[in-house]
Amino acid sequence: MMTEHTFSDETLMAFADGELSADESEAVERAMEADEALALRVEAFMETRLKSQDALKPLLDEPVPEALRQKVEGLVAGTAEQAENVVPFPQNRPSAPVSTPRWAVPLAASVALVAGVAGGYWLGLTEPGGTSGLQAANLGSPGVVQALHEVASGKQKDLGNNERFRAIASYKDTNGDLCREFELDHPDKSTVVAVACNIQKTWKVQFTVVAAQNTEGYAPASSLEALNAYLTAVGASDPLSQAAERGALEALKP
Amino acid sequence: MADDFGQQLIDLLPRLRRFAISLSRSRDVADDLVQIACEKALANQHAYEAGTRLDAWLFRILRNTWIDRLRRSTTEGTKIDVDEAHYLVGQDGATVTEARLMLNSTAEHLANLPDDQREVMLLVCVDELSYREAADILEVPIGTVMSRLARARKKIMAEMGIDANATRSEDEKGSA
Repeated sequence: MMTEHTFSDETLMAFADGELSADESEAVERAMEADEALALRVEAFMETRLKSQDALKPLLDEPVPEALRQKVEGLVAGTAEQAENVVPFPQNRPSAPVSTPRWAVPLAASVALVAGVAGGYWLGLTEPGGTSGLQAANLGSPGVVQALHEVASGKQKDLGNNERFRAIASYKDTNGDLCREFELDHPDKSTVVAVACNIQKTWKVQFTVVAAQNTEGYAPASSLEALNAYLTAVGASDPLSQAAERGALEALKP
Repeated sequence: MADDFGQQLIDLLPRLRRFAISLSRSRDVADDLVQIACEKALANQHAYEAGTRLDAWLFRILRNTWIDRLRRSTTEGTKIDVDEAHYLVGQDGATVTEARLMLNSTAEHLANLPDDQREVMLLVCVDELSYREAADILEVPIGTVMSRLARARKKIMAEMGIDANATRSEDEKGSA
């Protein structure tokens, strides 16, 4: 059983810094109520933190020297130029950056309203008129299949009926099949985020998330977490460059 | 990727610079360090894990750059010109005035801490990283971060007359 006399400086400091677990924090708080000296020790740690921040704040407020700023902006511009011919995948979404590391994301059901992963949904390339299990999302429409063949990543295409197809990126899966990540906006303001792979001349939908659309028309980052988890799980390659993507699509033509 | 990453990098320049100045205690060295760190960051941006703290990742690169430089300057026998506490004072008049006001005891005490204690103070207290993040940057166990941090703060308390054991301390004794 802890008493106030057993708290080390490090424990009190961790409490002041908000680094203790809930249980430990509660123990310190209880002890502080009964022991003013203990409360003062905690306060002293808080004070050193605040005073340090105040002391170095002027350095933060100083303008960055022009020479340094220009140099770094030049570096950034140079890097951007180099990257221009690469179709980025999947971070370069026009929407908010994905906020969770790819390896750390559990495929939680809570991140998406509907998530269907791996298999079961086929797009009938050979019979464009056929319906599919994804009728609700209209992924099986001939327009989508055609767009998968035609639209370069970064571009979008109106499919009619207030539907819009947006190609995000292309990559090769571990079997070497071409996979494309795309988004489909629907008139009801929902957006489907999907990955389809072309396996033996048929586009097979491997992953879908239906997400509420934000005002910019892009799927919100939360639904992309599930996508990233999926891409990590299947070992997706780096995104194909624009040229490689063109070549891969060309190769699919009959 | 480049645009977004690059913009975030530019936005973080003031904080990178502050960390570099506090670390190296020299403005000239600091600007060099920031520039080299930015180059490394841009060249290795694929290694940055989206969703983790970019500032922490950059601090790590910056600090490694500094350590590298220290090591090299030692072997080369050259000495990095450290302007002690005056590194905090800027060049233009306004900054000088403000900086002089702020060249209080705290800033001086921070500057006078041993390197290993100063850097944990900067990371945790000034830049508000967690103990874990600081430990990752410094490549030491979390317990080491805590002991250095506690020692640094006890020292600052003692020098500033922040009395943890008796009555409440007055504000800023003897800063003139």
